[in-house]
Amino acid sequence: MLKYIISFLFLLIFTHGFSQEKDTAIPAVENDSIVYKTAYGLRLGFDISKPIIGAVSNTYTGYELVGDYRVSKNFYIAAEIGFEEATSIEDYTNSTSKGTYLRTGFNYNNFENWLDMNNEIFTGFRYGLGIFDQTLNNYTPNVNNTYFPSQSIDTSISESGLMAHWTEFMFGIKVETLKNLFVSASVSYKILISVNDPRNFKSLYAPGFNRIFESRTGFGFNYTVSYLLPFSEK
Amino acid sequence: MKRVTVLLMLCIAFFYSCEKDDFCTKNPVTPMLVLRFYDTDARNTLKNAKYLSVWADGKDTLSGYQSVTKDSIAIPLNSLASETIYHFKINTLEGDIANNLIETFTIQYTPEHEFVSRSCGYRIIFNEVTFNTDNTWVQDFTPFTLTTIDNQTAAHVKIYH
Repeated sequence: MLKYIISFLFLLIFTHGFSQEKDTAIPAVENDSIVYKTAYGLRLGFDISKPIIGAVSNTYTGYELVGDYRVSKNFYIAAEIGFEEATSIEDYTNSTSKGTYLRTGFNYNNFENWLDMNNEIFTGFRYGLGIFDQTLNNYTPNVNNTYFPSQSIDTSISESGLMAHWTEFMFGIKVETLKNLFVSASVSYKILISVNDPRNFKSLYAPGFNRIFESRTGFGFNYTVSYLLPFSEK
Repeated sequence: MKRVTVLLMLCIAFFYSCEKDDFCTKNPVTPMLVLRFYDTDARNTLKNAKYLSVWADGKDTLSGYQSVTKDSIAIPLNSLASETIYHFKINTLEGDIANNLIETFTIQYTPEHEFVSRSCGYRIIFNEVTFNTDNTWVQDFTPFTLTTIDNQTAAHVKIYH
């Protein structure tokens, strides 16, 4: 009998042990009841600088539509599609490039927003593809003498189906001015991968890339207004 | 962030300021015809053409080539035609008009427009070139034909007199 009583006491030791553990457990931290959510969705807009430059300059016409889609907190898939026609007036040649382009890539937001603000200071990367025609409107052979001066040749020569490929590194800001309405400014540094040259001529301007310098690099600027179509809030 | 912006601005200024294809530094773009005068008796020895004047048919004397004594000349060709006729006048005394010796040298060719660069534009190269002369004071010359004149780093024609 005594044997059983001792055994029973041992059982009580264990229950005591369990109750001890429960007492020392750390109380769960209560969550802040306010969560600042920001909208996720598709943002669509257009470049405002290109039509303005087009209206002021008679050697340029350009339009660009922009869009991005928010994938995660700081990561956006972005694309631009546009049309440009630009005339390059050089000392000895006058040529016009005309065509469409597509730039696809992503933006990464480096800006830590306060509360529910949704502004961005972003860096981005793009791959660009332009398909264009280039027309040599007229040219004057460079004969570098006045004894036998040359004459301007006004028969235009066109070459279509030219392609340019390039990469871009972007840096810019986006500000939500009104609810879901964003204004953005960015600058991009472009590096040409490849471009087709017309026969016995050179592609001097590629839509989407801008003027092609000898160094095969260039700069682009974008000023856009876009509207966010919110799909969800997270 | 501010530092990054400043750095970016400097980069833009640096890259945007000067590009090497802004100015045509290639000179000359369109080649001229280079002639050198040699002694007809010692054919490796240069021999000056004395009181030389050069003009194209129906034109004024070429500037820089009026009564000069030289052993080599560079003259432009007419890119709008397929033939240029030059007259080379020499003398032994300056202003001795009665003893002027005038050589008529004819160059025939096919001009071709060749693209060089954005800043230099197009140049003219001359293909299938043939030379002819009336042998007034020139004894001989070489070569009689050239496939192309696309540079002027060396003499195109050696003239023996």
